Amino acid sequence: MGERWDRARVIALAPDAPSLRAAQPLAARRSWPVTGAADGSALWGECRGSAAAPYRTVVDLSGPAYRCSCPSRKFPCKHALALLLLWSEGAIGPDGDLPDWAAGWLATRAARHADAKEPNDPKPPADPAAARRRAEQREARVAAGLAELDRWLCDQVRQGLAASQRSGYGHWDDIAARMVDAQAPGLAERLRALAAVPHSGPGWEGRLLEEYAMARLLVTAGRDQEKLSPPLRDTVRSRVGFTVRQGEVLAGATPVGDRWHVLARRDLDQDRIRTRRVWLRGRRTGRPALVLSFAAAGESLDGTLRVGTETEADLAFYPAAVPLRALVAARGDTGPGGTPPGSTVAGLLDGYAAALGQDPWLEAWPVVLDATPARAPRPCLVDAAGDAVPLHPAAGDCWRLFALSGGCPLAVAGEWSPRGLLPLTAWDEGGRPVRL
Amino acid sequence: MNTWHELVTASLIGTERAVVPAVAIPGLPPAGEAAGDPAAVLLDRAALLTAARRAGRRPDHAEPLPVAEPDPRPAVSPAAARRLTALLAGMHPDLLNEWLAVAAAHGLRPPPQLLPVLLDRARHAGAADPGLPRLVADAGGPRARWLAALNPDWSFVLADTADKAWRLGTAGQRRAYLTALRGRDPGAARKLIADSWAAADPQERLMFVNVMAESPGPADEPLLEAALDDEAAWVRKMAADVLAALPGSAVSRRMAERAVRWLRLEHGERGPRLVVVVSAECDAAMRRDGITPGPGHPAARLSDQAGLLLEIAARTPLRTWTREFGLTAAQIVALPAGDWGPPLFMGWSGAALRQGDGEWAAALINRALAGRPPVTVAELAVLPQLMRRADPLLGAPGVLSRPGPQAPPLLLNAMAALRFRYEMLKELADDHGNG
Repeated sequence: MGERWDRARVIALAPDAPSLRAAQPLAARRSWPVTGAADGSALWGECRGSAAAPYRTVVDLSGPAYRCSCPSRKFPCKHALALLLLWSEGAIGPDGDLPDWAAGWLATRAARHADAKEPNDPKPPADPAAARRRAEQREARVAAGLAELDRWLCDQVRQGLAASQRSGYGHWDDIAARMVDAQAPGLAERLRALAAVPHSGPGWEGRLLEEYAMARLLVTAGRDQEKLSPPLRDTVRSRVGFTVRQGEVLAGATPVGDRWHVLARRDLDQDRIRTRRVWLRGRRTGRPALVLSFAAAGESLDGTLRVGTETEADLAFYPAAVPLRALVAARGDTGPGGTPPGSTVAGLLDGYAAALGQDPWLEAWPVVLDATPARAPRPCLVDAAGDAVPLHPAAGDCWRLFALSGGCPLAVAGEWSPRGLLPLTAWDEGGRPVRL
Repeated sequence: MNTWHELVTASLIGTERAVVPAVAIPGLPPAGEAAGDPAAVLLDRAALLTAARRAGRRPDHAEPLPVAEPDPRPAVSPAAARRLTALLAGMHPDLLNEWLAVAAAHGLRPPPQLLPVLLDRARHAGAADPGLPRLVADAGGPRARWLAALNPDWSFVLADTADKAWRLGTAGQRRAYLTALRGRDPGAARKLIADSWAAADPQERLMFVNVMAESPGPADEPLLEAALDDEAAWVRKMAADVLAALPGSAVSRRMAERAVRWLRLEHGERGPRLVVVVSAECDAAMRRDGITPGPGHPAARLSDQAGLLLEIAARTPLRTWTREFGLTAAQIVALPAGDWGPPLFMGWSGAALRQGDGEWAAALINRALAGRPPVTVAELAVLPQLMRRADPLLGAPGVLSRPGPQAPPLLLNAMAALRFRYEMLKELADDHGNG
């Protein structure tokens, strides 16, 4: 990614001819009092325009992706194009310090994209000293962000949560944006999701308090990370938003070889990025694993791990107190998986409690339950012992699950969380998987 | 566990005004007086309690559901199940009814997980597709009835044989009752229609005719013939349509008499051709038999007389032509007819659809594919319908003529539909063979 692009490659990015025409006069040094480039992976600059404040433009060359403070809705806008043109002419040299406004956005992108896009063997950074300096800068920014979030959380509780129900989404978006600026995208995403809690029905106050309390626990843990065991520290850092490169994961712990049963799949669309979560379980080790893949809106997601199949594979787990997320390091033959063995409700709750003991922030816990769906007093799954767990409110009516069951027990795979079980796959009497 | 509740209350009010309650967790030493910001203390206690509550969760209790009656029918093959999924996702949606009817006829059941979407589809089918609820109920079997007992939206599945539905029900329930009665005892259904006719409003009379139209028989003719003099135009029109397609009906005989007067086969120098002898305008008797004066189809842009020819051809029993001309359907549709070609093509297409005549449908499709390309929008629009009614074997590879290079997209789409339908019916028949 270090090489400069030629002019033709930049011109090919223009969304239309007028954008390109408008960009050309701006591609002059005098329009750009501030510019910089990082390892040939990102460009930034401030463009003097007609407005009082300069427009701030950032280009992530790995996408490429663009961010500009101008009101244009074109991607890339004329400023981003002009910046790229300047760079292609060699007019932007590698420059030292990444400004905050560019760093925040790049870190968020890195967190979302890096895993999907990074090559498996990253080249060492061009300038180790600069890289170390940037890492130190980031640690300092995150620490300041954690302190700011701590004050914000305490303010909420001091003033009372009753006001939250009247707050718009902006209330959480503001603090989330500050966490983005502080290069803590994991926290930002957590906070942004909170805007929906006050409208999530009865009991929202309790759920909001839980979320604030667990966020403060994360802040406290992040502040005192030196006192934590290494796996727990990895968990805390990843939840704050530090990413681990794929290459480090693959080079890290010994991969786990097993016959992995693909139990369930869940696709999420967020901010024009599609995330696919695929849950696996090892036949021999019984270990759960989560494989993530990403795609831009409109692109198709990785379909190699098909629900219901079994694959002989080596998985490399990301370091964590409860290692779930993994990369497929090597794979062998694939075949149909049949109905997976399920646990009881008591087994599910015990397993989750044990996992919470390692990672108190754990929310999506993969389970396979042998149970029968029931409707009263609320939609739930009941096992042979008569123990029940509720279905997650977001699961909706679950009529497909009920229709498949017909009042008889079946194996259901899904994500367990404190609000209930989100059913994702069930197996029919012929052992065929049915996505729910 | 009221401690949690107290913590939530304090957090709602805010620690500016509320005291932070103490937290006791079984198995942990009681927390002492904490120093520092009360808000931070509250959050820390809440975090501790949250983790404890999540990890210490106990199972709920629930009331089990009754077990559904077993369905003795074998399930359709995975291929047929995938096709049903595609139909429900919007691919050739007008073939859904046929899939259900054929599956039920072969004694196969659809995959249970597709029943909810089928039931919802049937619930919203309305007047445009009145047969769907019955088809879904029959194909769904005991599992559909089990679901209907759980969800009142689907109660139409639980066939209501009590005549309460007839006396007090909504229009839909009355129709369902009448359809069910007609299935059990056609004579009783006819008597019920005859007895109710005088007091029924036009909507309901139209419903009576529609119910008869689903499976018309010779015994329905007196009721339908009487409906030709109904005061509501839609009832008259519908009754005429049903009678025209009813073999041996007086309307179809009268129509055949008109048809052979209007259309003749002549043997000229360049071989046989069709000649239209335009007779009078639309008289009262023609109107009574369902012929509308003026252009029959707005998109066809036909002259008045071409419109009349179309209407007559569409209502004439197709075997009239084969008998009169001594030719096969394929030979007849290939005869040159000059400017009368398009109205004849559309009229015959309408007749093939109404009379369910697969041979004529096939002849017309082949004519459109291989012969003079269809010109008008109306001609093209009738093709997809023909493709769906024609003998499904036409969709087998290599049976139909290949479309010409200028074949319009509608024609190609219609061919794709025919191929889809062929595959669909083959899958269900294979299942039957295996099952």
